[in-house]
Amino acid sequence: MATVTTTAARDRGARAAGAAHLRRKRRLFWPFAAPALVLYLAFLVLPTLATVVLSFTSWAGAGDTPKPNGVTNYTQMWASDSFQYAFRNTLVYVFLGGVGTFALAFLFTMVLRDMRGGKVVRAILFFPNIVAPVALGMFLGFVFKYQPGKQGLANYVLEHVGADAAKFLAPANVTGVVTASLIWASSGFYITILMAAVDRIPPYLYEDAELGGASPWQKFRNITLPMTWDVVGVAGVLWTINALKIFELVFVLAGPGTYAPPNQAWTLGVYVFDRTFGSNGTPDFGAACACAVAMIALVSILVVLLRRLMRRDAIQF
Amino acid sequence: MTVTDAPVRAVAKPPRKVPRKPRPAPGSRKLSPLRLLGSVIVWAFTAGNVLVLYWLLTASFKTPVEIFTKPFALPYQWFHLGKPFRNFIYAWNNAGFGDAVLTTVVLVGLATVATVAVSAPCAYALTRLGVRGSGPMTNAVAIGMGVPFQTVIIPLFVTMSKAHLDNEYGLFLLYVALSIPFTVFLLTGFFRSLPDELEEAASLDGASPTRTFFSVMLPLARGGLITALTLNAIGLWNETLLAIVFLKDQAHFTLSRALFTFYGAASYQSEYGGLIAGVAIVVLPMLVLYLVLARRIITGLTLGAGK
Repeated sequence: MATVTTTAARDRGARAAGAAHLRRKRRLFWPFAAPALVLYLAFLVLPTLATVVLSFTSWAGAGDTPKPNGVTNYTQMWASDSFQYAFRNTLVYVFLGGVGTFALAFLFTMVLRDMRGGKVVRAILFFPNIVAPVALGMFLGFVFKYQPGKQGLANYVLEHVGADAAKFLAPANVTGVVTASLIWASSGFYITILMAAVDRIPPYLYEDAELGGASPWQKFRNITLPMTWDVVGVAGVLWTINALKIFELVFVLAGPGTYAPPNQAWTLGVYVFDRTFGSNGTPDFGAACACAVAMIALVSILVVLLRRLMRRDAIQF
Repeated sequence: MTVTDAPVRAVAKPPRKVPRKPRPAPGSRKLSPLRLLGSVIVWAFTAGNVLVLYWLLTASFKTPVEIFTKPFALPYQWFHLGKPFRNFIYAWNNAGFGDAVLTTVVLVGLATVATVAVSAPCAYALTRLGVRGSGPMTNAVAIGMGVPFQTVIIPLFVTMSKAHLDNEYGLFLLYVALSIPFTVFLLTGFFRSLPDELEEAASLDGASPTRTFFSVMLPLARGGLITALTLNAIGLWNETLLAIVFLKDQAHFTLSRALFTFYGAASYQSEYGGLIAGVAIVVLPMLVLYLVLARRIITGLTLGAGK
């Protein structure tokens, strides 16, 4: 067994290393951390605060001045159909898409480790992730195109096996299509992350388990999952964040491309974009800021919950 | 007993190549339903992806009629007419990809390197210097990673327009700044997983903390750095929202931005071959980059701390 060091043991080791050295190390903190933290404050924290403030104002956009109007933006937004569609779709992508993606990723970590050609498979599965969401949306638009005589790939196959062509991209179906597309496109990324963590697990643990005749599920449950727990946590957080801000894929896939898709297909990201730069009606920066704040609130709640759920002592090996 | 069987069987095959991994024990090779199901799904999924890539590549050489009526056939018409690259030439000329390639390569290259150069010391400082409050600070940065660009875009757009930074220089700043939370978060994971012993040994040998960082910890985290570089490069190459908002001058569009505009224009003319060629022009360089770097990412990660 490699050295399994708990946080407590690490602290003890650090104390033994000597107080003088520790002081010198601590002096290094600000020179090392400051550049990134300053950029972070200037381009993310301050603008976020500005958005929160602006969400309580009525502001049409450039040329207008923000006027405080309390929570009007929020109440109006909450009552609107477009926001409710956007909110529900976003939750569908985060949860349904997340369950699908991680189920696939876990299944693959069980099978891929001792499968011939596993590295090639991983490289191929990652492929949709290197595609710009805009390009992916365009491409999937061709796949799911419904136009008698000019059917896209999916309907072409459906018609050739004798089934009826489906209107995949009709407003009522588009959420399901996007969820499936999302699972297909993102699973490769999470498989890659999890497999990279699996590769770092000392092989003798698996050899021991194999000598004991463990099944793939037992190996996954008792070796892979505990040894990659931290990475699984990171991957879960990444998923939540990426699924929550999904924008280009929906915008291009569900809509004609350069102007906003039908309301039923909206996500929170599309809502903000449409209220800010959209071609539907006049811009309303105040309402856009309110929706942006809702996005932030949702993502913070989900990430904090997830991190609390996944908390455990770090394992070093 | 299976344990005594294994070496005998291995010796029984004389022309034996040196195995890269130790041969699995006989017990693990038995067919479980889960393994079977898994393998079927894995191969079906993989085959699906290969088919998609094949479709994209062949469709970019086809006429619209061929794309929709013979999706799995090899391209014929443009080759028959002797202008095989007709779609690519159309896309290149009509989408303004010539300028966009240069802009994208320079912008993404510089922004990626700058991001990692700024983030690596920060991630090290947050995980390894034992400063009180680094835990909450790391969490604060991690929450920043979850800030959707849509949230900050309005104040940034207003301020940067006033500062005349609504161009590729402003976009560079934004790309670096907005990539920092993800990169720092990723790298803290790597620095945290490195063993303390090596750092302690370096300090016992009299290395200063700065030297420990550059000569010991940074090389150990090489896998993480390469991963961070690659993931950022891919992410920024594909970034569209900020480019739509901040780039006004068509001569300085990025590739994805140019493709977005081209989509609207070419859809009207049912120029499907050209559109797919446009997609291919954006996708293929990333595919090549990934194929070149995939092995380095994985070996870099598996090298770990030399165990």
